[in-house]
Amino acid sequence: MKLERILRDHRGDGLPGLAMQTITAPKRRVLIAIPAYNEEATLGEVISRVRAATPEFDLLIINDGSQDNSGQILKQLQVTTATHLCNLGYGRTIQTAVKYALCCDYEALITLDADGQHQPEEIRGLFQEFVNGGWDVLIGSRHVNRQTYSGVPLGRQMGMRLFSILVKSTTGKRVYDTSSGLKVIGRNVFEPLTYWHFIDFHAEAIVYLLRLGYQVGEYPISVATRTKGKSMYSALSHFKYPLKTLLMILLGIVQAGLTRRGNRQ
Amino acid sequence: MTFQGILILDLIALALLLWVGNLVRRGSLYVGYGVVFIMTTLGVMLILSVPQLLAVIVRVVGAVFPVSALTLLALCFIVFMLIYILTQVTVLSNRLTLLIQGLAIQQAREAGETEREWRG
Repeated sequence: MKLERILRDHRGDGLPGLAMQTITAPKRRVLIAIPAYNEEATLGEVISRVRAATPEFDLLIINDGSQDNSGQILKQLQVTTATHLCNLGYGRTIQTAVKYALCCDYEALITLDADGQHQPEEIRGLFQEFVNGGWDVLIGSRHVNRQTYSGVPLGRQMGMRLFSILVKSTTGKRVYDTSSGLKVIGRNVFEPLTYWHFIDFHAEAIVYLLRLGYQVGEYPISVATRTKGKSMYSALSHFKYPLKTLLMILLGIVQAGLTRRGNRQ
Repeated sequence: MTFQGILILDLIALALLLWVGNLVRRGSLYVGYGVVFIMTTLGVMLILSVPQLLAVIVRVVGAVFPVSALTLLALCFIVFMLIYILTQVTVLSNRLTLLIQGLAIQQAREAGETEREWRG
């Protein structure tokens, strides 16, 4: 069993309890995962809207070591929560969701930001396109329709352009919104996503998956402006993020090449 | 190098060996890291105490003075140790991440099962 192999591989790294468990969870279809870090202002509303918009999908909140009242809110709302004992960062939080989806045998994972910028009402359309289009990963994109970055602050616009061009030049596929948090991830990419490490599951993950031969697409969505809470990106991270992502794109290309060669042999 | 210089450096190296040995004995330093320091210190003591060996190293490195060659070797060692220590920190960080993720997943699975049972 694939999952047992993964857990066996991790056994030496401090997960003996999980590794020895027999996974007997019944088959469920779709999991919506919302990573949350200090999002007390918007979390309750986002959860209510997601529950109302997609009652047939399971919901998981990953509390990434929040120091505000997010934990308390989640307890009150009685929503399934995976709590990180300390802050691991966005990429690791998404990875926790992927591992959970893999463990519990979900067929697809939908990730959504907790800051209220995404419209939960658009999830159904996004998922429908994911199923109909046969995608492995489908990204909810703010810019794919207009194919421009108008309305985005200049600094951020430059970054988006740069990574979009980088993805195009390294994979041949243009992805307009590489940093969107609203994505549908298919079951067949769960494993590659747990093997390789990413920063924020943005351009570096897209390049890696495309180079492995998976189908990544975009679907138009609308995004509201953040009115409450604080962005996870600090002033310093505006310099660190592009450099880290660039390095991970290069290493991802090498890793994907090695993986493909290993698979052929 | 002068005899006095060799003597002082050998004494420093000896003190370092005793310090590292004591740290390993008390469990304050992992034995693997202790071995790296002890082997390197013994190597430096050997180079210092055998003038022919030092001369070979000075020639190989392309230095004019023995001290320059030793400084270069020391710099290389420091860089190597920095990278080694950072890889160890990364390994520990990865293990901690796996542990935290494992605990979070287990907690969520238990909560998920309860929720589904409750829903019927």
